[in-house]
Amino acid sequence: MAIKYTAKVIEHFKNPHNIGVIENPDACATEGSPACGDEITVYLKIDKATDRIEDVKFQSYGCASNIATGSIITDLAKGKTIDEAEAITWKQAADELGGLPPVKMHCSVLAVDGLRSAIRKYKKEVKGIDYDSTLDVKTVTEELKHVLWPPVGVDIITLKMVKYIGIDLGAVRVEVSIGSDDKFLNPTIDEIVEHVSKIRGVKSVNVENV
Amino acid sequence: MIYLDNFRSTMVAPEVWEAMRTAAIDEYAVPAAFTKCGTGAAELIERAQNRLAAAIGGSQNEVVFTGSGTEAINIALRGSTWAQAVDKPEIVTSEIEYPATLAVCRALEKEGYRAHYIKVDGEGKYDLDQLSSVLNEHTAMVSLMSVNHMIGTIEPLAEAGAIIAEASQHVGRRIPYHVDFASALQTQRLDVDAVKADLVSFSSNKIHGPKGVGALYVRKGTKIRPITFGSESYSPLVPGTPNTMGIAGFDKAVELLYATFDKDVEHMQSLTNRLATGIRERIPYILLNGPDGAGRAASHLCYSFLFIEGEAIMMFLDMDQIVVDTGSACAAATLKPNYILMAIGRNHEQAHGSIRFTLSRYNTEADVDTVLAKLVPIVERLRAQSTIKPPAE
Repeated sequence: MAIKYTAKVIEHFKNPHNIGVIENPDACATEGSPACGDEITVYLKIDKATDRIEDVKFQSYGCASNIATGSIITDLAKGKTIDEAEAITWKQAADELGGLPPVKMHCSVLAVDGLRSAIRKYKKEVKGIDYDSTLDVKTVTEELKHVLWPPVGVDIITLKMVKYIGIDLGAVRVEVSIGSDDKFLNPTIDEIVEHVSKIRGVKSVNVENV
Repeated sequence: MIYLDNFRSTMVAPEVWEAMRTAAIDEYAVPAAFTKCGTGAAELIERAQNRLAAAIGGSQNEVVFTGSGTEAINIALRGSTWAQAVDKPEIVTSEIEYPATLAVCRALEKEGYRAHYIKVDGEGKYDLDQLSSVLNEHTAMVSLMSVNHMIGTIEPLAEAGAIIAEASQHVGRRIPYHVDFASALQTQRLDVDAVKADLVSFSSNKIHGPKGVGALYVRKGTKIRPITFGSESYSPLVPGTPNTMGIAGFDKAVELLYATFDKDVEHMQSLTNRLATGIRERIPYILLNGPDGAGRAASHLCYSFLFIEGEAIMMFLDMDQIVVDTGSACAAATLKPNYILMAIGRNHEQAHGSIRFTLSRYNTEADVDTVLAKLVPIVERLRAQSTIKPPAE
């Protein structure tokens, strides 16, 4: 099947809204890395009295899908309270764009993660609310909901591809069930490691295909 | 549209289309003996075999037509390895081959063959010392390519051929040597004797012929077994009804290729020089992937534009009706950066920012100037938006 972008994705890619930098932002966060394909930085200016997002900008080292999602989520976040903006989901962003090819959904997830990280940083640094999670099976499960299975663009928890999560003194073991010659096996394992590694308290991640 | 993705596929030349039309409407019989239309179809195939064979220093019976370059590679690799009576058989190829070659080698590995993947240097040239070192009495087949499709490197085929010939003498048995010539046919001449090749695969759609046709040269005396079976054709290697329409098109494409070969190669070289000069002069922070100058195919350029991602560049060019390719993970179905760029030592970021420009004889100076005029602001704009900045800033 032909993998295509919607007209809305192309429009936001061509003329992205809110692109750029905010000098002296109230919060800023970077998600992703060139090694994993895309990287996005989100800057926030927040009215401290009302906790409303006055201005939001982003920069992207990324593909069309990442740039378009950065554009749409910053549009969605602007003017909202930080709690409202934190609740924006990647599915909402993708829906606003008229859908994304399943294989490109992870680029959309990354952009939403960028916005969320910036908000949580603000909450922690300015409001003193510590959002850093404790390391348990629930936290790992929540984090793995951000790892999508590229052929369908649905997360690996919903698809029941994760068979076991074990934690022992900061060492996390994740067992997945993927065909051994599936071309998405290694990229997916890499993504699981990347996501789980960023949970506080994780010392090592071991992914086994069972 | 300005089409600079000719290493993927090319426009069918109008003369080729005409030859195919004639073959489809007027010469549609199946090759057969005695009857006028049957012998006419047989002669069409013989003419095409003769033309390709003459161009590469082979003879008519050494050329068969296949359903694609990929099919030719499958017949060459599987057919020749299966025909070797060797204990604990091993196959030899490189880490930067065309996906079809690598796929067949991986399939053979699953069947119990041991595979050696020759490494390459920073410009994509084969490590011939490694090639010498892995050849032994277990070697059932060697498969190498003439021009790398991603980075344009012209590989030292004749040197490799000499090494294989020497090893063959040493083991007292001819080790079959397959050359993938699909990406090379447009710009390289081939003499199968000089290269000492036993098998050579070709693809029609890389030289303005139709898709769905390839060819395989099989040196007389090469041990090879058919991998598919069916009704007798002009060769047991390619059973079933021959695609005479496709073969007629491929034949016309070969005729056109050699009619103006030197002039066209010179033309494409001058265009890639113009494009390369323009990119070097107008865009900072770039890396040429593959060799510079004489070591690369005349129609091929591949640059990494640092700090930005290739799919975004490709999409912007596409909106300006300019067609290129990228080695970015973001544009690949597997979400992995191009394996050839990684093999020559590029890091993820450098591979993601790669754009491949592959020209044809139909491109013009005006095409190149338009591409430069569009490309420069696209790169500047994406860099202004990027999270990654040049070290100076």
